[in-house]
Amino acid sequence: MFRYILKRILIFIPTLLVISLVIFMLGVYAPGDPVANLMTVTSGGENMDDKKAGEEAYIKKWKELGMDLPVFYFTISSQADCDTLYKIHRKAHRETLAALTEQHGNWNEVDRYYKRLQKFENTVLDFVPDSVSTKSWGRLRDNTGNLYYQSKSSTIENTFSKLDRYVSKINDSLNVIQPAFAALKNDYNNISATATTWKNYVPSFNWYGLNNRYHKWITRFARFDFGISYQDRKPIAKKIGDNIFWTMLISIISIILTYILAVPLGVFSAIKKGTTADSITTTFLFILYSLPNFWIATLLIIFLCNPQYLHWFPAFGVGTEAAEGKSFFAALGIRIHHLILPLFCWTYGSLAFLSRQMRGGMLGILRQDYIRTARAKGLPENKVIWKHAFRNSLLPVITIFANIFPLMISGSVVIEVIFTIPGMGRMLVDAMVAQDFPVVFTIVMMVAALTMIGYLIADILYAFVDPRITYSSKK
Amino acid sequence: MLFKKKKQEQANEGELPQSYWSYVKRQFRKNKRALYSMYLIIFLAFIALFADFIANDKPLMCKYEGSTYFPVFREYGVKTGLMNWQEEFLMAEWYELEYDWAVWPPIPYKNTTIDYMNAPFVGPFDKQDIKSARWRHLLGTNKLGNDVMACMIHGTRIAFLVGIVSMGIAFVIGVLLGAMAGFFGDDQLKMSRGRILMNLIAIPLSIFYFGVFFGKSLILALLAFLAVFAIANLLGKLFDFIPFFKDKVNVPMDIIITRFIEVVVSVPVLILVLSVVAVFPPSIFLVMGVIGLVRWTGIARFIRAELLRVRSLEYVEAAYALGYPRWRILLKHAIPNALAPVFIAVAFGIAAAILIESFLSFLGFGIPIELNTWGQLLTQSRQAPEAWWLAIFPGFAIFITVTLFNLIGEGLTDAIDPRLKQ
Repeated sequence: MFRYILKRILIFIPTLLVISLVIFMLGVYAPGDPVANLMTVTSGGENMDDKKAGEEAYIKKWKELGMDLPVFYFTISSQADCDTLYKIHRKAHRETLAALTEQHGNWNEVDRYYKRLQKFENTVLDFVPDSVSTKSWGRLRDNTGNLYYQSKSSTIENTFSKLDRYVSKINDSLNVIQPAFAALKNDYNNISATATTWKNYVPSFNWYGLNNRYHKWITRFARFDFGISYQDRKPIAKKIGDNIFWTMLISIISIILTYILAVPLGVFSAIKKGTTADSITTTFLFILYSLPNFWIATLLIIFLCNPQYLHWFPAFGVGTEAAEGKSFFAALGIRIHHLILPLFCWTYGSLAFLSRQMRGGMLGILRQDYIRTARAKGLPENKVIWKHAFRNSLLPVITIFANIFPLMISGSVVIEVIFTIPGMGRMLVDAMVAQDFPVVFTIVMMVAALTMIGYLIADILYAFVDPRITYSSKK
Repeated sequence: MLFKKKKQEQANEGELPQSYWSYVKRQFRKNKRALYSMYLIIFLAFIALFADFIANDKPLMCKYEGSTYFPVFREYGVKTGLMNWQEEFLMAEWYELEYDWAVWPPIPYKNTTIDYMNAPFVGPFDKQDIKSARWRHLLGTNKLGNDVMACMIHGTRIAFLVGIVSMGIAFVIGVLLGAMAGFFGDDQLKMSRGRILMNLIAIPLSIFYFGVFFGKSLILALLAFLAVFAIANLLGKLFDFIPFFKDKVNVPMDIIITRFIEVVVSVPVLILVLSVVAVFPPSIFLVMGVIGLVRWTGIARFIRAELLRVRSLEYVEAAYALGYPRWRILLKHAIPNALAPVFIAVAFGIAAAILIESFLSFLGFGIPIELNTWGQLLTQSRQAPEAWWLAIFPGFAIFITVTLFNLIGEGLTDAIDPRLKQ
């Protein structure tokens, strides 16, 4: 037994690692720049000082988020790619540079072009135009900025021809912009002149060591340090602590309800097998099982929580405001009033599932020889069913608990969204919409861990309640 | 009718065909509930397939300025890039043209057609601002003025597409891995050390080349992926001159794949699909791919169990005795006979995939918003409780489709393996 548990745990570790990798890579490859999203100051501006301030703020935030490190322990890239691209702080720039390298296969030249572009931009920003050439200078500045986002050669050449025009219009008495622009053009042409596209097809392996983003995140995670939410800068552990209450409360009530109702229902329909009552129950349970809970929830909220139809229940929330300052029982009443519909939607699916399982299990047991023996020796039917059949068919159903539990948490997402319950599911959806990855990571990992613990508990329970089951292999 | 006639023929012959598949068919037909579900699904599939002809914003056929056109058919040509619109239709407002005569589809709207005159939220029984009863919005409109009936019909197509394609992906992965696990078991696959080494090296390389070609085309990327393994296996032979590498070792295929299945099964599917789809820009292909990549374990388990059983049956032994190569026995004899129970998993899988698709649409992730799928219509009803038609019809469509597939799955279970029956 102990060995079996150990074996299961050994499977959980790679599973959790795989999930953590998938979810982490999602965060890395997601479109959008999290640093820019978090910036309160917009960077890049009219002149050198604005730009410098913005850039510094960006870099500060970038380092604060730990994004100045390589993503993973190693990468498998091509010979053409740059292995230290992560050191460039702007995500959009990295993407442009990667695209340029992919086209031409020579990182060194691309890098030289990038540095030249930065120098050229600084030259342009430092330049003090006279009144005649202000307009051209402004356009020159904007188009130069655009170059950071352009990787297609046709677009870049188009921009260059525009720049050509503006440069010639500017009254450049000190002769600083002209040569800088010529150098930039030269460097760009150099990229395609020395293109080595074949390098794209030669793999190369880069090792970065432990100082990387994934390692830092996962080791912190293992110490239950989940980090800070991007949205409101609160610690995630606290946010989850605030939100987990309602999800847990409703899940637990719902599981208890499921068992109280499903077990008798399943037994009833099994012992009445073949009668009208059984076929009605079975059909009803089947329909219940197939009804999508978000449809039922929508119907309920529209037709039972709405002044236009029936206004029997409150449509939103868990009644926190309404219950404030009321006596205990009045507050409890308000809470229950709010929770009836969500609870119903939460419960009916697993109720139907469990009843069907119970019925199936019971039918299987009733066919057994020992039931026939019990009947043959003249035991009353009541005793046969409740003492012999029921006890044995209950065993597998108990263990289903562990499988239902994680299902409930993920199933809760849509119910919480519809009924605006401040729980984990809604928190997850909100975090996804806001691209708040630390929160998404944490919740997904938590659900995954809970799922696996659920399976483990199921297995252990199974072995404990049914002594015939041993997990140690005897060969 | 057709089916009755067949039965008679069989009765006349006096004996029923004895093959496994005909047995399964007969058993399935006995289950009336599953049989009628099957007919209804075929009907829905028909709607899905011909959605463009049933609900479209162009005439099926029209006479315009003296010549006859088939705009709906032409649209297919234009979409595939084989044809262009005729000059006069390039910028056409199809509803405004002065036709000599025109045959419109039964529902003269598309899921993307916007009827400004009947927006927002005009119900099926409300007064509608339309030319004649022919143009009535049978199931009302939504906020923008999309015809709900047209959305329902095109939604059928999206639901079926997601269900079938994602299960197709799952089927390929599941059958491949399940067959490998079941057929080779833990003691049937022997490989030289050299080949194992080369295959291990090939794993990162194949991923690399897949990535390199992925930007160009998916098929090229898949080919590159397979080519790397093919080359690795060929190169593995070269190691044969070194005795150490030539030694054959046992590869416990079953253990490896079963462990992998266990890893994938423990993944909370809904949450993972949700987070993958939420991060990237909406794309129906992403939804199908992700569902396919996480839902194959049921299929793999079924086929593994079947093959473990089939492996020791006489006809496989006979095939071995006749000296057929192993891959041939696997592909031509073992898998076809193990496939039957897999269809159970596929039927239930399609139901689950359709449910996941509508769930994602409902939450507003993954499916482009302008498609107005069932889940998206349902979600729109939350903002406008007075539009009861938006809450009832799409939800009912989801429910019916999912239930029908589940019923087929149950029917198949009963027909294929009565032991699984509960």
